[in-house]
Amino acid sequence: MNVSEKRFLDYPEIQYVKWGQVENMYAQIGIIAFVMVIAYTVAKWKKLSVETSMFAAALAGGIAGAFVKTPPIGQLARHMVEGAFTYLDVMLVFSTATIFMAVISEFGGVDYVVRGTIKTFYNKRILALLILMFIILIPGALTGAGSVSVLVVGAPTVMALRYLGIPEKKVAAILFIVAGLSAAAPPVNIWAMMLCAGTAIPYVGFELPLAVPVLLLGTFTMLFLGWKREEKKELADILNQMPEVPKKMSWWRIALPFFVFFGLVAAVRIWPFSLPIIGLPLQFMVATLAAFLVSPKKVNLLVISRDTIKRLLPLLTTIVVVGMLQQVMTATGVRGLISFAVISTPLVLLFISLAIIIPFSEGVLTYGAAAIIGIPLIWFLDSIGFHATVAIAGLTLLWPLGDGLPPTALIGRLSVMVSEHKGSYWSFLKNTWVPWIVITITGILMVVFSSKLEFLVRWSM
Amino acid sequence: MPFIMILYYIICVYLISMVVWNFIREKKNPEYFFHYLLVLIPLILRVLRVK
Amino acid sequence: MSREWMIKIVLIVLLAAGTTLAGIQLFRQRHFDVPMVAGPGVTRTAKLSDYSPGLKGTMADTTVFFLEGNEEGGKALIMANTHSNEPASLLAALIFLENAVVEKGTLIIIPQFNNSGGRNTRPGDGYPLYFEIPTDWGSKKFRLGNRDASPLDQWPDPDVYIHYPDKQLLSFIDVRNTNRTWPGRADGPLMEQVTFGAMEIMRQENVDIAFDIHGAETMFPVTNCIVAPEKSARMATMASLTVKAREGFDNHVEPSPSGFRGLSHREIGDYSDTLPFLLEAPIPFLDQPTGPKTEKFLLDGKDPFLLKLAKAKMLFVPYDESGWPMDKRVGQHCSVVLEIMRQYSRKKPERAIEVSHVPRYAQVVQNGTGSYYHDPSKADPDKVFLN
Repeated sequence: MNVSEKRFLDYPEIQYVKWGQVENMYAQIGIIAFVMVIAYTVAKWKKLSVETSMFAAALAGGIAGAFVKTPPIGQLARHMVEGAFTYLDVMLVFSTATIFMAVISEFGGVDYVVRGTIKTFYNKRILALLILMFIILIPGALTGAGSVSVLVVGAPTVMALRYLGIPEKKVAAILFIVAGLSAAAPPVNIWAMMLCAGTAIPYVGFELPLAVPVLLLGTFTMLFLGWKREEKKELADILNQMPEVPKKMSWWRIALPFFVFFGLVAAVRIWPFSLPIIGLPLQFMVATLAAFLVSPKKVNLLVISRDTIKRLLPLLTTIVVVGMLQQVMTATGVRGLISFAVISTPLVLLFISLAIIIPFSEGVLTYGAAAIIGIPLIWFLDSIGFHATVAIAGLTLLWPLGDGLPPTALIGRLSVMVSEHKGSYWSFLKNTWVPWIVITITGILMVVFSSKLEFLVRWSM
Repeated sequence: MPFIMILYYIICVYLISMVVWNFIREKKNPEYFFHYLLVLIPLILRVLRVK
Repeated sequence: MSREWMIKIVLIVLLAAGTTLAGIQLFRQRHFDVPMVAGPGVTRTAKLSDYSPGLKGTMADTTVFFLEGNEEGGKALIMANTHSNEPASLLAALIFLENAVVEKGTLIIIPQFNNSGGRNTRPGDGYPLYFEIPTDWGSKKFRLGNRDASPLDQWPDPDVYIHYPDKQLLSFIDVRNTNRTWPGRADGPLMEQVTFGAMEIMRQENVDIAFDIHGAETMFPVTNCIVAPEKSARMATMASLTVKAREGFDNHVEPSPSGFRGLSHREIGDYSDTLPFLLEAPIPFLDQPTGPKTEKFLLDGKDPFLLKLAKAKMLFVPYDESGWPMDKRVGQHCSVVLEIMRQYSRKKPERAIEVSHVPRYAQVVQNGTGSYYHDPSKADPDKVFLN
């Protein structure tokens, strides 16, 4: 007997390791998953928030797993805390981006931009809608985060859309869908980048496979939800209703902080080897300082920051807890079981079920879903002759939809928050269903016909 | 430590102080007490250079 | 005290207790040093910062071992733990370090190439912090690191990583991945400085062949193989055929794609005269559809989900009830490295690299990886290196 064999015999026998009996592993992990679902349900039933309920699910799953040493009980706290780090940088981006926009908003910048847009484009509706679409698309396309679009340009576009006579529930829907598309838009698509990093496929040739569907679907969404002027208002009345802007306000005071932000983003791209890596949070902080300095009225940065963090608390907590949940799900095998179940599904059924699996996995795990389901799926599709780049592009149209689904619903909740939608969350979500289905069908068709769409990759290079 | 990394630690300390300020001001909802503390975990351990 | 503050204090105490416990475990993992016993072949050591000065004083600096033969010859470089969650590489490199005797030429070994990554953990992926390899004198404990360097050593990440010098856009996370930052820069981000250091070793020392040892998922098409660019492909093919014929294991050759930048098997060849070879052995632990990520699974590679997927022909390696044990993976790496060195020495006798006392595949599988490690507590303290 060699030392390795001795070593394995020394291991305490773990119940599920009855080799070859897959069912035992299913049962064990299934029970842990069930405990997590029960913990979540009970917490919600006790009227606890989504965040606390997710924490309860993670903790309960970890404790259930500890009975079979997956993970050992002494490692449970470490797994929870380590998981909290999964999206630390995303947390910093959210916080700094929102503080930046809060300063702009506080000094009247948002009101001023909306007043200008409405004045110029009130009678050119389609043009106005398309310009607003590009305004939402750009920040997310540059940063890869739809949330940045919502946080940075959400407030002014929401107001502009409202004054164009679009009801508030549809405005929230437009913001959510287009911000989601902005995250999928090139040049930076984080899901695609994570999939490329995980599957060792170069992140090249994505420009057209992403830009063409994003622009078509974005235009469709804007026109479908925004075409009808449901609340007719006279331009003069609208301008009268709008909040007053400070007297010293001017275009350059608003443009400068954005110029600083986009300038930094662009500069790092243009001179990548001369400039150090600055990162989005610092870029937002520098832009915040610029906004603070050019503000036409005195703003209290500390109070704005404090109130922003308070407003963002549910989202920041979600980001922390979803990392914990992901870590516990992996340590217990629940994550592996989900991944196994997805890629074991027969191909035709799999394509149909992508419509549900992809958004729901994003709703539970946010970016973590791309790794768990996306990586094995892409390897599998690649091996049976699908075009990996186009298939990834297709899948990444579906993931942003999941950002509207509970429990995390990151972009959905931000959209509701920014648009000040008064009704229930579901009443907002209901308004997204037509673009949602069109995007889903487009994404799935791109995966199914990925080989035929390969020319998009070629034309991009 | 590179200058930009130092700035990131300063951003973290700034956010920590905002979270703590809110935590102290929060009077009513015990769930919010808990959420503020959860958000602090990664920020504090990063500033302490533990993880 | 008000009720509000009672609740607050209870919550603070509970969360602080859990966080402190976890913090200590994570801190210890980062600062845990693995003792490595320099074997009879080691003639001198250097630091990677000797070749890339920016690394000095950082956690990314690492020890470089030189095993110089009595006779002049060629030079080979072995890099392990480029991805520290693929530990068969480190285990194979340590077998060379602790046992190899070099008769001709020079062998250079960097056992913990991405040292910062080796001192990092992987949030969200639920790994154990350590793993242990049984030896004749007890067990040898290793950190289980991460694919990417620690943000404590390199922070922030960009929104997108722009590869130097080709400007290809890569995932933001790849800025901390030392198999995407080749060929590196002296003044770039820390991980570019790490790969730059290795490039400098190859350029300054006139290294003939370089091995970058990895592990890859069983569901990943590029697994259980030698990845080689055009200039190394012939030698890789010869080695692949020879180990198949003589030692009975598969290790096919994969071409290094020219359009995918930043990888060692691409950039080393393009930016130096060295012939690069990237070795992959299967590591089921890294696959997504598996059971819990336990230490046992890391070592034996057995997973019922993967077994079922293998039956559905969804894996890229043969996989049965025996899993894919660590000894098999380590043994493969040892044999392939030895075989490529042999092929090179046959082709260029004046630049031959002759190494003995390193076990091949069958011996590692039979005797166990740990049987080739020496007890650091009984070794000459001057020969024990902590990294």
